[in-house]
Amino acid sequence: MAAAAPGQLNLDESPSWGSRSVDCFEKLEQIGEGTYGQVYMAKEIRTGEIVALKKIRMDNEREGFPITAIREIKILKKLHHENVIQLKEIVTSPGPEKDEQGRSADGNKYKGSIYMVFEYMDHDLTGLADRPGMRFSVAQIKCYMRQLLTGLHYCHVNQVLHRDIKGSNLLIDNEGNLKLADFGLARSFSGDHNANLTNRVITLWYRVIMLWTDLQNCYLELQNMAQLSTCGLSDAFLQSFCMENQFCLGKTRMNMMGLSHPFDALALRFFSQSFDMILLHMPEQLNKIFELCGGPDEAIWPGVTKMPWYTNFKPTRPMKKRLREVFKHFDRHALELLERMLTLDPSQRISAKDALDAEYFWNDPLPCDPKSLPKYESSHEFQTKKKRQQQRQHEEMAKRQKLQHPPQHARLPPIQPTGQAHPQLRPGPNQPIHNSQPPVVAGPSHHYGKPRPSGGPNRYPPGGNPSGGYNPNRGGQGGGYSGGPYPQGRGPPYAASGMPGAGPRGGGGGGGSGGGYGVGAPNYPQAGPYGSGSGAGRGPNMIGGNRNQQYGWQQ
Amino acid sequence: MLVSAGDDEIPVEGKEETTTRVLEAISCVLERLVTRNDRVLSSPDPVRNSGKGLSVFQGVRAPSISISKYLERIFKFTSCSPSCFVVGYIYMDRLVHRHPDSLVGSLNVHRLVLTSVMVASKVLDDEHYNNAFYARVGGISNSELNRLELELLFLLDFSVVVSSRVFESYCLHLEKEMKWNGINQRIDWNMSNSTGEETEISVGDTIQSSSPNAND
Repeated sequence: MAAAAPGQLNLDESPSWGSRSVDCFEKLEQIGEGTYGQVYMAKEIRTGEIVALKKIRMDNEREGFPITAIREIKILKKLHHENVIQLKEIVTSPGPEKDEQGRSADGNKYKGSIYMVFEYMDHDLTGLADRPGMRFSVAQIKCYMRQLLTGLHYCHVNQVLHRDIKGSNLLIDNEGNLKLADFGLARSFSGDHNANLTNRVITLWYRVIMLWTDLQNCYLELQNMAQLSTCGLSDAFLQSFCMENQFCLGKTRMNMMGLSHPFDALALRFFSQSFDMILLHMPEQLNKIFELCGGPDEAIWPGVTKMPWYTNFKPTRPMKKRLREVFKHFDRHALELLERMLTLDPSQRISAKDALDAEYFWNDPLPCDPKSLPKYESSHEFQTKKKRQQQRQHEEMAKRQKLQHPPQHARLPPIQPTGQAHPQLRPGPNQPIHNSQPPVVAGPSHHYGKPRPSGGPNRYPPGGNPSGGYNPNRGGQGGGYSGGPYPQGRGPPYAASGMPGAGPRGGGGGGGSGGGYGVGAPNYPQAGPYGSGSGAGRGPNMIGGNRNQQYGWQQ
Repeated sequence: MLVSAGDDEIPVEGKEETTTRVLEAISCVLERLVTRNDRVLSSPDPVRNSGKGLSVFQGVRAPSISISKYLERIFKFTSCSPSCFVVGYIYMDRLVHRHPDSLVGSLNVHRLVLTSVMVASKVLDDEHYNNAFYARVGGISNSELNRLELELLFLLDFSVVVSSRVFESYCLHLEKEMKWNGINQRIDWNMSNSTGEETEISVGDTIQSSSPNAND
């Protein structure tokens, strides 16, 4: 083997890595745009398999390989679950400039690209929810929610906090499977004795409370592994909340409060840009949270006044919890779960695992089988956004020409599956929406002894507790992954007849009470599907002042 | 001392003394490895040196700075957590195991150490310097370091996760190595005295390096 001549690095040698070239794939279409590069739908030429290619941008020379990518790869390599996106491999492209030309000092500049290869998913939740005329049935929402919580629980069991759950990072395929994606902000918290979960990663409002309350709390508490659950709780809370919010409020949130909801992940885009701005707005965001959940005090959160952040961030005036008021259109089980997820005190907050056991999932309408869900034409946030933009341009042009345009609902008609009759089209603006999912089992509403549709393996991911993990009677059956003990001997919280209206549940949880769906209205956060995040301020290695580092490494 | 704990490591005692010990142990182990491998390399039988795995890390001549001084230098300027050195060492060990025909010798050890520690710091530390800074500390060009980083990541097949159990066992291993070498008597060895005051070094063959000044 010849060593390189001075000033040269054996570039003439083929890369010693065993990775394949991106030429094995044929790019079909761009489906996302993120902080560290584009996402493409691609076909593996040899097998014809459709995959998603996420390009890792390598153009910031000073930073080298992006740290978010290193961390994402690192975390995805240890997560294998049907509700977590699977990283198949990493491929490279040689780049336009071949090494032969680059004999000078910058000859070792890597001009090619690196791609992460993921399984392809047809939709992301934001894209899907944003389809014109789209509405989810209650059973569908529960089905997604349960998958989300299952995936989250798996992450937490494996000591990973996702930290960036939002619609565009939840990918859904046409089999109805939901998977968590974009672990670029994720953090493992195993032996993290310093609990150095930096609070600088906040880009979105809904993360605020997590970082400013819970992680501060973790900072104090997470001295040993026994306390992991606390951390998990915070994640579950936020992430689930975000989901709940998106699902349940649906398009009605604008009407509901007259202003966009403080937690609303969909209205956060403007806030994702700069770190300084976030700090600047922090108290305001916290206040919004307190406005909803009530101000923290010793009564609802023992010990809170001793938190290091408390003096700086305590509410300026006493605030009452308005949760039940704001979400009064929710049915009681949804509201109960939401309330437990939105508990300020992390030690009282429900964990992802316990959330799976909530009444919400065990009352009609039950979560449906993913496979029974309708199939839709592929919809990613990136695309819907682009289409909307085009639409807007189109409309402007049309306006200028004083032309009338047909309504926009004609786009993207859902492909109805056989058999399942989900009313996919919104029944009209002011019409109250009743249970859009036909009750699986007609009859009395009490949940004991009621046959669960397609119970067992199909409804619960393998690795869970397939054969009856979620026993309707909860006779101490384990659930989730570990099969750990659920609260035993718990009486039924609600008498069977106590449910308001055995049948339709006034649109509860199902997308609100109708109306308010405006096509260009919601402000979605910028990140594309397959994640890659929400703006320049993210990234765990924002540098302290004494380190003289630029923030610009992510551009 | 700006030491942030990484997320896959177990806490070391986290004192200056520990750091010194860690650096010492690693440089001791590496030096022994390099000496042995250099002997193999200079032997008439060139078969052992046919591996391509580490060739990108190969320089033309061995840098004049010793391994221990080099480690100290990296630590002094980058303030990465001591665990990064252990994890960096684990990466190098993984590398050698994945590519058994490649030998860590005096021609490539510096680049390997620098790249591994940098990657470890990226993986573990919440706050870390960028590649440009590491390049200046290490005396190679930014673009070369980027290239080496990629090379390392792919050689490792991105298996950069080090569980706390693995971390612990490597720590024990290093400790033992030190005991065998009778180095533990030198624990109070004062690091700052022995770190050369020079702020410019060159490990690269022709590349001019300069002071690792973070401002540029």
